[in-house]
Amino acid sequence: MAKLLRRFRYWLHRGKMDAELAEEMEFHRAMLADHGGSPAVMGNTTLSREDARAVWIWPWLESLCQDALYAFRTMRQEPAFTATALLALGSAIGLNTSLFTIFNAVALRPWPVRDPSRVVLVNRFVREGGGDFGIAEYRYLAQFSRSFSGLLAIHNGERVKMQDHPQQLTYVSGNYFRVLGVQMERGRGFLDQEDVAGAPEAVAVISYELWQNRLGADPQIVGRNIRLDDTPFTVVGVTPADFTGTNPLRNDIWTPLPARKLLRPNDPSVQSWLTSPKFCCTPMAGRLAPGVTRSQAEAELAILIDQFRTDNQMGVQRPQIIATGTSWIEGPRKKRQVVPMILTLFFAVTLVLLLACANIGNLLLARAAARRREIAVRLSLGGSRLRIIRQLLVESMLLAVAAAGLGMAMAMVVPAAVFRRLAEEQAFHVAPDLNVLTYTIVVATLSCLAFGLAPALHGTRGGISAALKAGSESEGAQRARLPLRSLLLAVQVAISVTLLANAGLLVRGMQRAQALDPGFDVRNSTVLSIDLPASQYTGPRTMELTRDLLAQLDHSPDQPACGLALNPPLSNTNYITSFQLTDQPGSPMLHIYSNEISSGYVAAMGMRLLAGRNFVPEDTARDVVVINEAAAKRWWPGQNPLGRTVLANEKMRQIVGVISDVYTNDLSSIEAVIYFPIIGRWGAPSIVVHDRGAASLDRVAAIVKRIEPQAQIRAEPLTANFSRKLRPSIYGSELAGLLGLLALAIASVGMYGVFAYVVGQRTREIGVRMALGAQPRQIVRLVLGSSARALVCGLACGIGGAVALSTLLSHALPGIDPLDPVAYSSVVLLLSAAVVLASAAPARRATRVDPVRALRWE
Amino acid sequence: MGQREQLELLPGTLDLLILRALVRGKMHGYGIAHMLKVTSADVLDVGESSLYPALQRLLLNGWVTAEWGASENNRRARYYTLTAAGRKQLSAERADFERMVAAIQRVLETA
Repeated sequence: MAKLLRRFRYWLHRGKMDAELAEEMEFHRAMLADHGGSPAVMGNTTLSREDARAVWIWPWLESLCQDALYAFRTMRQEPAFTATALLALGSAIGLNTSLFTIFNAVALRPWPVRDPSRVVLVNRFVREGGGDFGIAEYRYLAQFSRSFSGLLAIHNGERVKMQDHPQQLTYVSGNYFRVLGVQMERGRGFLDQEDVAGAPEAVAVISYELWQNRLGADPQIVGRNIRLDDTPFTVVGVTPADFTGTNPLRNDIWTPLPARKLLRPNDPSVQSWLTSPKFCCTPMAGRLAPGVTRSQAEAELAILIDQFRTDNQMGVQRPQIIATGTSWIEGPRKKRQVVPMILTLFFAVTLVLLLACANIGNLLLARAAARRREIAVRLSLGGSRLRIIRQLLVESMLLAVAAAGLGMAMAMVVPAAVFRRLAEEQAFHVAPDLNVLTYTIVVATLSCLAFGLAPALHGTRGGISAALKAGSESEGAQRARLPLRSLLLAVQVAISVTLLANAGLLVRGMQRAQALDPGFDVRNSTVLSIDLPASQYTGPRTMELTRDLLAQLDHSPDQPACGLALNPPLSNTNYITSFQLTDQPGSPMLHIYSNEISSGYVAAMGMRLLAGRNFVPEDTARDVVVINEAAAKRWWPGQNPLGRTVLANEKMRQIVGVISDVYTNDLSSIEAVIYFPIIGRWGAPSIVVHDRGAASLDRVAAIVKRIEPQAQIRAEPLTANFSRKLRPSIYGSELAGLLGLLALAIASVGMYGVFAYVVGQRTREIGVRMALGAQPRQIVRLVLGSSARALVCGLACGIGGAVALSTLLSHALPGIDPLDPVAYSSVVLLLSAAVVLASAAPARRATRVDPVRALRWE
Repeated sequence: MGQREQLELLPGTLDLLILRALVRGKMHGYGIAHMLKVTSADVLDVGESSLYPALQRLLLNGWVTAEWGASENNRRARYYTLTAAGRKQLSAERADFERMVAAIQRVLETA
């Protein structure tokens, strides 16, 4: 140990030590000269000094450097090999690193707050659906809970207009910035007195980005007014640049919860949202008090929730409370949906990496065969096998390091580009960090061992004498010993077939999804959305507008079918309302998807009325609802729901009709929905027109303009919403296709390498055959035949792997048929094309072998 | 090539001789070489090519320490001092060496 320390100290002061040694030896010479000796006796001074210095340096370290230098020279001498290997391995590692970079940025990082390990997200699971917390409930919990040093309510997802640009706004409890420990760039966070339901204050905290980009980085910003939807707010603080908020979407503005009243002055539901115990759907988080564990906090919250519900006569719910970390991967809700997808992705890129390893392993194997003689000479001169294996591994490591460099470079560029394409508003820092670097190093090291070890062992085994005698490989002996090469080729084919086939299945699945019947007429419907100047348009006026629209749209005979809806289908918004079955005693308070529609909506959408009646204009004054088939089946299986009353949105309402199911929220599942007659209390309605012709759309727009000249009307075909919902599966199949093609490209290079090698090794045999009158066709067959078994085995294994993988995938992505013959036959065709391409040049070379020269060879 | 035939030292014995030379007190490199030459009656002429690597080895092992001082003719020279570990090493190596020499002697005499 002391020795190691001394070595280290020497290394630190090596310059000084060297100078001292030189001086000392100079003194020695001088003394020698003084005493009549001749300096010539001393020999080579520099060499002596080198020898003396070498004492301090590890011998193995030095030889390792030599190995690396030698490896570098070898690599430079074979630029084609090096370039191929680097390209294949670099892109494979780059893919892995890029995926990990994204995963790291999106899923592994907790909220950017002080001491994030003590901050938890409080998840609530209720069997009947409807999670999260009411604000009244939150206040109760925040008041009585002792497990948290601070509980937060965070209501995301409101868009407001500032300077005519939509900005993302989050309503938060007054203690938000304080509890999270955000050090403000300017000004302050909120005060508790700004978060009082009865006395909303128009104060806002803005993001660093908004301050820089929209407000000119005004140094006097604190205290200034900004207009949000035309309502003036005072800026009290600016968040630091590294605080990107607590939701995945980039957030621009924060206001206290009660400020929602100021932004929606005529929406009576805001008051209930702030104070009614029956409201839900505000996420809650908190900082655990010192020493309190997550499970203690969960237990305490469960008890407090029971008390709260008892106090408010809401019946027992027994929710499951789970406190999780704030990184995305820890959220239990998201985990179940997306983890299989992430695993599949990682599996796919790992397959590409394996493929690249098999490819380079084969290249190295071919090279080791070419270097058999060199290796044999070294072995016979007394080089230990271990030493030569190390030399070969150092070469592999050098390759891996260079490829890792390429991979890191890719990770700097690709993930950011992917994010720009997929979602420009995400708040993630996608730059690679230490995690990514570690991951890359681990991946590179493992892959280096994967592709380097087998060829190194393979290349150094066997007798010295045989290798020296034969000069190059003797054909007969080598053919028996080839399984490693064939195995590696088969692995490459298998992996590329697996990836390609899955890409094909995904593309087919996407095609099928595009042809999916969402339950309404996608192709022929248009959604008109109405934009109103917010400051002048308040509750009563949107209700007037809605009433006028209802009257005029329904009474024009030359109109295409059209109807009003609060929430057009496949939009990004969901409305949820409270719901209770009053005819079943003791049934709990539920939450259900809701919408408000006019009577014309059912026809305009191409939906069907299944039972009872549609809405009539008079229904706006009655407490009646229509439900969809899914709701009827869920709560009244085998019974007639018509005429029954339910408690919906805090009022007793009678069910008058049942309409057909549609995919209203997304394309994966049908939800139970309750429909109210549209009144227009929540804002301007959208108009669904069962027509795509500009003329009839203009007519509808003209009606709206006549009623409200200030309205701005945007027409978007329903297909736009539809393809927006399809985007994930489109991106998914694109990505899979890209992976598959990359895999095929790498495997093609691998096949080419093997064919070229076979031709090179069997030149003499080919020459003999040609001399004996073999036709070029037979020679081509010979070349192809040498690898036929590997190709067929690879294809079979690949298809097996594809079936297994796609069976797994089909659980996560409905619409995939794991046995789709079209996908598999196109993969076989693609692979055959690749084989033909890869073998073309080597086969040509083989048929041009000059028998005379080939026979004279050696 | 020297004019005179030099005796090759047995491997490892140079370290032993240097340690032995330092028992009497600190010395610089030239002094050690000179002393070995004189005490061996000119048989052992240690050149710097073997002396300085050996000294570095002893430093690395912690058997000697080095410090700069003025030489007898007032020049800067590096003086080596035996450490406690060096003394222990010397006695161990010396015992080993004597056993080895005795063994060789015995073999030579019987042959």
